[in-house]
Amino acid sequence: MNRRKFLAFLGSASVVTAAGVTTTATPAKAGVHTFPYYPESYGVLHDTTRCVGCRRCEQACNIVNKLPKPEKPFTDTSVCETRRRTSAKQWTVVNKYTMNGKPVFRKLQCFHCNDPACASACFAKCFTKQPDGSVQYDGTQCVGCRYCMIACPFYAPGFQYDEAWDPLVQKCTFCKPRLDKNELPGCVEACPMEALTFGRRTDLIKVARARIASNPEKYLDYIYGEHDAGGTAWMVLAPANPKGPKVPPENPALAGPELKQLGLDTHLGNQPMGELTYGALGAVPMIVSFWPVLFGGAWAMTKRREAMYKAEQEKTVREAREDVTAAVDAVVRKIQETEGDGAADRARKAMAEALKARDDAAAKHGEDA
Amino acid sequence: MRNGTKMLLLTAIVLAGAACLLFRGAEGTNAAPALAATDSGAPAAMVLFPVSNQPNSGAMGMKPVVFNHKLHESTVQECESCHHTGDPVACSSCHTVEGKKDGNFVTLDRAMHADNIIQRKGARTPQSCVSCHEKRYTERRECSGCHAVVTPKRDAAWCAVCHTGVEGMSATQTADALAGKMDPDVNEALAQQAVDSKKPVQYADPGAMALKVKIGTLVDKYEANVFNHARHVNSIMKRISGDKLAQAFHSTRETLCQTCHHHSPASVTPPKCVSCHAPGIDKQNPGRPPLKAAYHLQCMGCHDGMNVKRPAKTDCTGCHKERVAQKGGSK
Repeated sequence: MNRRKFLAFLGSASVVTAAGVTTTATPAKAGVHTFPYYPESYGVLHDTTRCVGCRRCEQACNIVNKLPKPEKPFTDTSVCETRRRTSAKQWTVVNKYTMNGKPVFRKLQCFHCNDPACASACFAKCFTKQPDGSVQYDGTQCVGCRYCMIACPFYAPGFQYDEAWDPLVQKCTFCKPRLDKNELPGCVEACPMEALTFGRRTDLIKVARARIASNPEKYLDYIYGEHDAGGTAWMVLAPANPKGPKVPPENPALAGPELKQLGLDTHLGNQPMGELTYGALGAVPMIVSFWPVLFGGAWAMTKRREAMYKAEQEKTVREAREDVTAAVDAVVRKIQETEGDGAADRARKAMAEALKARDDAAAKHGEDA
Repeated sequence: MRNGTKMLLLTAIVLAGAACLLFRGAEGTNAAPALAATDSGAPAAMVLFPVSNQPNSGAMGMKPVVFNHKLHESTVQECESCHHTGDPVACSSCHTVEGKKDGNFVTLDRAMHADNIIQRKGARTPQSCVSCHEKRYTERRECSGCHAVVTPKRDAAWCAVCHTGVEGMSATQTADALAGKMDPDVNEALAQQAVDSKKPVQYADPGAMALKVKIGTLVDKYEANVFNHARHVNSIMKRISGDKLAQAFHSTRETLCQTCHHHSPASVTPPKCVSCHAPGIDKQNPGRPPLKAAYHLQCMGCHDGMNVKRPAKTDCTGCHKERVAQKGGSK
């Protein structure tokens, strides 16, 4: 098998494996994806035109998830000025951005993608998309590789760097324990401005469209997260530029420069991130299945080489021994002709003893006979 | 700060009183004919009829508009704001119902109503009646509070503010006007009569409304907020009291109430906010803000529009007093 054939084989094998592996990350049948995967799933609509940057959501998140107390109190709104990122101790942060000269606040947290990139990157299968819309992390199998943090297009997962034993990845859980109790997520409940609207994702898209339609001057005609990165459970509405030209509806290329000011990337495409990597990453478990063949082959080759070496050695020894025996016989015959039978017997005996003594000495030094 | 405002108000009242005393004679003469000659020499008022390219299209879709030229002249100051070519001719000499080459095929309808006019570079951007009015109510502080929350609905009542028609105009006069054969003096007389007969709407009496409203939605965390309803209503009414544009478009006595008391039929005894805005999540109306947000969106929306700096939006205790622990409030 040459290199080209091997790669072709690996490629086709990985596709077959990927079809099997994707079942964990995407509940839909392997093949063409249709959105949303869970039509009943929940989401949150973040209307940045309403957000005032009061940090009540951060406070609520901190309390309901029992996170460590921050250095600065939540009433200090000056921290919004710096572009903070979510971390293991802050699952959500509100940052201040300047959009067309006006301050706009945006809450950052896990977007709970429809088809999460973190799940596609995790070989320990710690991440799962739940039917309620949340992306859950189960750290029991986590090896701390932090591939999820690299895979996430929103830089949402944080890592417990200061945890010496068993550090885990931490991120917004969509307040799963509260959802299960029929309660709103902590941040949504705390928001005084309804900048966070909780509901079924399908309803929220309608709500967002209605808001844009009823106030076209106010809103940028783009629901961030409806299709971005394959669609996310948390979606963002942004204010329009009052002075600039009107951005045509649902145009990622033209809405891009506007949303970029709000730290949102419209270049993620509408394809789930995972779809780009399932093929390649699906091949990873298959490598494990190669191991018996690989190591078995190496073992067999070593064994065979050893056997060949031993056979060669034995052959040489046998030949040498045959030579010695022939020489002894020739010498004994010569003695028998010249000296008589008695002398020949004595000579044979002496030579046999001498050879035996030499063999014994060699055995004592560990040499093979 | 508040004392300063009071002082200013007092001074203003005193000055206004003095002015009244001084110019009483002049005012007396002004009262009967509201319109005197304009500075520019244009008719003080005119009835605007749709002008068609056809000699007599016969049909007239909308009632004619009575246009108070004198009032607009004194408010706008620059003739070129409306007469954008620099030539003070009638709008309909270039902009007809169908549009014609002189007016770059901009129809009369667009010339009067367009609100999406592209900004011209290096030349004067023309304005329509609607775009200029819109600019006035979004740019001036006394208007921009409510109008940050409320965008006027373009319904029949909105059209009827300008398209009033002229009472007592005979059929032959109408036919003449449509054919463009009406005598300008007759036109002016008719318009003046319509302008004189027009009286601004008397707003609902703030004294008859709730003086203070106690809002206790957040009593688990904060003391109930006592909203000074009368002060808010009075302040808005006072600020726009002399404004002719507001008088014309705030066409019912409850119009002002409808910024906050929206979506329910106009009334001086409107339903409470909680009748529509449930305290928790409303499954039937996922887009409707819950009670807490409804309050905050209305209050802050208006304050934002008016550029009210204090209390800051993030300062909860600016409006809600922190609940004292020993009073037994849960944390």
